[in-house]
Amino acid sequence: MKSMAALLQLLFVSVFMLLGCSDSKPTPQATSGTGTGPAGSAAPQPAPAALKELNLFGWSEYVPQEVIDGFTKETGIKVNYETYASNEEMLSKLLAGSTKYDLIQPSEYVIEALVKQGKLEQLDHTKIPNLKNIAPDMKGLAHDPELKYGVPWMAGAAGIIVNTDKVKDEIKGFKDVFQDKYKGRIVALNDSRELVSWAMATHGLDANVVTAEVLEKVKPTLAAWIKLVKTFDSDSPKTPLLGGDVDLGVIWNGEAALLLKEDKKWKFIIPAEGAHMYIDSLAIPKGAPNKVGAQMFMDYALRPAVSKIISEKFPYTNPNAEARKLLTPEQLNNPASYPDLKGMKTFRDIGKMASDIDKLVTDLKAAN
Amino acid sequence: MTPNTGQVPEFQGAQRRRPGLRGWLLFSPLLLWLVAFVVAPTCIMFVYSFCQRDELGQVVFEFSLSNYGRVFDATYLKILWNSVLYAGITTAICLVVGYPVAYFIGRASEGVRNKLLMMVMVPFWTSFLIRTYAWMTILKSEGPLNGLLQYAHVIAAPLDILYTPTAVVIGLVYSYLPFMILPIYGSVEKLDNALIEAAFDLGARPVSAFSHVIIPLTRPGILAGVLLVFIPAIGMFAITDLMGGARVPMIGNVIQNQFGQARDWPFGAALGMTLLLLFAALFALTVRKDEDAAA
Repeated sequence: MKSMAALLQLLFVSVFMLLGCSDSKPTPQATSGTGTGPAGSAAPQPAPAALKELNLFGWSEYVPQEVIDGFTKETGIKVNYETYASNEEMLSKLLAGSTKYDLIQPSEYVIEALVKQGKLEQLDHTKIPNLKNIAPDMKGLAHDPELKYGVPWMAGAAGIIVNTDKVKDEIKGFKDVFQDKYKGRIVALNDSRELVSWAMATHGLDANVVTAEVLEKVKPTLAAWIKLVKTFDSDSPKTPLLGGDVDLGVIWNGEAALLLKEDKKWKFIIPAEGAHMYIDSLAIPKGAPNKVGAQMFMDYALRPAVSKIISEKFPYTNPNAEARKLLTPEQLNNPASYPDLKGMKTFRDIGKMASDIDKLVTDLKAAN
Repeated sequence: MTPNTGQVPEFQGAQRRRPGLRGWLLFSPLLLWLVAFVVAPTCIMFVYSFCQRDELGQVVFEFSLSNYGRVFDATYLKILWNSVLYAGITTAICLVVGYPVAYFIGRASEGVRNKLLMMVMVPFWTSFLIRTYAWMTILKSEGPLNGLLQYAHVIAAPLDILYTPTAVVIGLVYSYLPFMILPIYGSVEKLDNALIEAAFDLGARPVSAFSHVIIPLTRPGILAGVLLVFIPAIGMFAITDLMGGARVPMIGNVIQNQFGQARDWPFGAALGMTLLLLFAALFALTVRKDEDAAA
């Protein structure tokens, strides 16, 4: 019995050690009410009540460290940058409510859903004068037409990437990618809404009209596709491509742009069946402790010189027209950074159906 | 009062004494820890597992048994079976590889022993995630392992290891091997040489000395090692996500996914509770068998 007691003890210790290890991302500490003074006396803008800390919850591989450091240097506000790999993951943590985030980076349909539930703070445009830099075609989008809740960060479209050294056939659309002969050579975004929208596009369906019948209709297509995919990765889908583990796939345009910049063998294609545009924005969750600091960060990120740094590090489609003027022709001509987004629709909030999409993809992956 | 069983009197006295205030005080940190980090979360999970979710994924307190109904869906039973399989393979490999290592360390001279033990534990100084990424680098198609094998003309084309079940098992074995070695080492170290010599004196061959004397004497270590590897391996999700390409699902992934992407906490909680019950049953069974064996 003594050995059993020791065993039990060991078991607990080990399980906790492992649990602790597997979730070792730094958690931003909720700011307490101590830092209510103005943020750093040297701050250029008069900030009446910016707290000393800003909790930014953003996409991974999306906010350059230089931008965070530059902001801290100028304002004295420490930025805790925590990352997520999908909108859904962000929602899950945001709604759990244990950490008070000041800034999040939702995509358009998530902004719409959060606004409907009253979970975002309205922005004070007088505090964000650089909002004027946003290109006209990035304003007036259906989810937030007057930019009342979100400041556009980066935009683009998910598209097809092909290693032309390995894949000799011409790839035009999703149907050419998801073929049996490429089984185990494909990378796809680990994003349920995206995945389902691709299957819907091949059936000629509108990505924003999701019903139980529609899901039933695309289910066989999706089931077949999921079997062909070698790895699902939204964080850094370029990694398995670079490592030679896969030869083609459907990934974020900014990730593809980084590949195209490195080597001519990569080719980026907007799927023939149709694609949609996404736009991610900075937004402030309701009740954020440091709303003032959050708006300062928004304005800072909208400065052309700062936005240029973001574009250089993560070459997505920059919605900041003034920043685009600072980019080199080579950067602007990268077909993955600036694909033709004209006429592409964005995702809209589909309410309860979002959970059905989650369930469908989870179950299909599980059945794999 | 006089013991007629031949037990030492003081020992029985000690057993009969009730824990005083001091005893409870000494015990209270552990008790608090258990309540805060084991009992309370389990209770929350238990409640959640009967709830539902709303559009955004928030938990709605409406009683429902549907989550448990979904747990016993064929899809999830198959995943559970796969997890048991992968964890079983991992445990078997760890035992076969770990036992000789533990035995060697346990029988080595003291100076050597400490150095060897150190080597078993050194990997823990680096974050588990970093070590997993290191393995991904080693195993990838254009990684050092394939490069070396191709350079040595062992293989013609790169081996396809990363993002396959093989990669998952490699990752699991790598992560949990120390948890097999350490408890077995503990048993081996206490092994009485006289008993092994006695076995040989009585005419046992090495094989039967090993199976009839050494194995039974190190049984507690083996049992501890098996549990320490098998149970965490079943619930692992980081390795399957990273090295298995988020495609080789184990039950741990499904549960983690419910609390992340899928935003279905009640279902995740129901899966967790079911798994907890399963482990508890397994544990009770092991303890009982151990007692039977000891008796």
